[in-house]
Amino acid sequence: MATTHAARRSFLGLDEKKRFMLALIAPAVFALVFFQIVPIITGANASFRDWALHDPKRTWVGLKNYLYVLSDPEFLLVVLPNTFGFMAASVGCSLGLGLALALLLNRKFRGRWLVQTVILLPLMVAPVIAAIMIRWMFNDQFGIVNVVLDLFGFAPVAWLTQRWTAFLAILLTDVWLWTPWFTLLLLAGLQSLPPEPFEAAQIDAATPWRVFRHITLPMLRPVMVVCIVIRSIDAFRTFDIVWTISGGGPARATEVFSIYAYVEAFQFLNFGRGSAAAVIGAFIIVFFAMGLYRILNRWVEVSK
Amino acid sequence: MTTASLPAPAPRRAPGFFEALAPGGRRMLFLLAMVAVCLLFAFPVLWLGLTSLRPGYAVFYVHRGTDFTLENFHEVLGQPVVLKAMWNSFVISTLATILSLGVTVTSGYMLSRFRGPIPNTWFSLIYVFRCVPYVSWVLPLYFVTRALGIFDTYWGLLLPHVAVHVCFFSWIMKGFFDGIDPSMEYAAMIDGCSRWGAFWRVAMPAAIPGLTALAILCWLYTWNEFLFALILTAHETPILTVVMAQFVHELGMEWHLMSATAVLSLGPALLVTVFGQKYVIRGLKV
Repeated sequence: MATTHAARRSFLGLDEKKRFMLALIAPAVFALVFFQIVPIITGANASFRDWALHDPKRTWVGLKNYLYVLSDPEFLLVVLPNTFGFMAASVGCSLGLGLALALLLNRKFRGRWLVQTVILLPLMVAPVIAAIMIRWMFNDQFGIVNVVLDLFGFAPVAWLTQRWTAFLAILLTDVWLWTPWFTLLLLAGLQSLPPEPFEAAQIDAATPWRVFRHITLPMLRPVMVVCIVIRSIDAFRTFDIVWTISGGGPARATEVFSIYAYVEAFQFLNFGRGSAAAVIGAFIIVFFAMGLYRILNRWVEVSK
Repeated sequence: MTTASLPAPAPRRAPGFFEALAPGGRRMLFLLAMVAVCLLFAFPVLWLGLTSLRPGYAVFYVHRGTDFTLENFHEVLGQPVVLKAMWNSFVISTLATILSLGVTVTSGYMLSRFRGPIPNTWFSLIYVFRCVPYVSWVLPLYFVTRALGIFDTYWGLLLPHVAVHVCFFSWIMKGFFDGIDPSMEYAAMIDGCSRWGAFWRVAMPAAIPGLTALAILCWLYTWNEFLFALILTAHETPILTVVMAQFVHELGMEWHLMSATAVLSLGPALLVTVFGQKYVIRGLKV
């Protein structure tokens, strides 16, 4: 198929090596262009139009949708703080817990295989299932969490009908889902560290804390940076667990950016506005990711 | 249960908190921590299993009573929409895995083996598009798939899934090929092998372990995916995760049926976790 392609003498005047390179990425480029770039352009186009799902007149309205979203108190005062708060809390908690677990698992003991298997479990479970289970466990009337609270003499809490408790439940789900990922990557990082600095520290009778603080942590930084960047980007676009646990409620109080765009487009049926929100979010995260990467990279450089 | 045995503690001079504990206390503490970790991570799944075994009338008091039944599974499997959704999810996941890996293996190989403007452009392109939030292209994808006439069909979900994987998998595949010494390929090319031959006969076999790992993760990811399935399918092509969520959204609060469906859909995940662990861990190491 593509072999004939490479055999042709001059294709667009490119030499054989360049043709080979282009042929290798051609299918991927095709998929990316048609099912990611074209939709993004469609969405950008829609964001400048008055595009309602039930009445698609599609009149050009310029920046009206953008101005609406950027002046919507819901977006500025609830959605953005929620999104960034969720990102920081989720990445921070899973990184801390993941690191602790990785340090525990980085020693040999019987039953290590079992612990590792159990820790892998959340990575294999669909986020929707996890979210539904959390919703069930935190149900205010029948949930096991309130039953346990009752057992210890505490009053039951209406978890999912208040902003902060609902937020906590969402955060808990995300941490449960992603701590194992941090654990596994950091464990792999720990196991690939050279043993010499640790031996030297032992000879110098360094305390475990100092070994961790001055040897393990600096040497783990590159792995941690990759983890933090990837997870932050993914946490920014979280959709399914928030949608399943609270649906953005109570009264849109736990909406994050993805939910806001979805709700504007498919529940208020205003596709132009939803697209504008999505475009704004895309710009925020692309710049944020670049900035984050640069800052964290500098952090790694300093430690070297 | 787990029994922990630590290697002989390294000789250290400063006595800390752990050393002050009674002999064996340190080991007990470690054991307790491990049991707690296991419980914490397994509990939601165990609770799901327990809920799925409770009859409908007792489901709201899972912690009370001892009536257990397999009736829920029977009822769920009797619903045509669930069976159809399972089949659809299976087909989509399998095809998406094959297509995504096929598309990205060459792209990753290219990124790993060549230098210059073309790989650089491609790399920055996938880096930027990896960051774009799903919601900003899944909303318009609804219109694009409608315009192409593939909304609510296999293709309409399959091709967007491949597009999702292009960026990240190219990146991971690059890592796999970076770990493979290219000198064998040069040797093959000196012996008269074409570039395609060197890629297909020399580099590919060496990348098989990495590909296996990625295939498992890709399959599970597609099987578990929710947002794309929610927006890009309707009644013609039900998808398991969406059908499952509907048990507790639209058709009332049927926790027992939802749990039974969820347990059924967890099957492949459990099999992979127990038997394919080695590969999964390898695949996760970006």
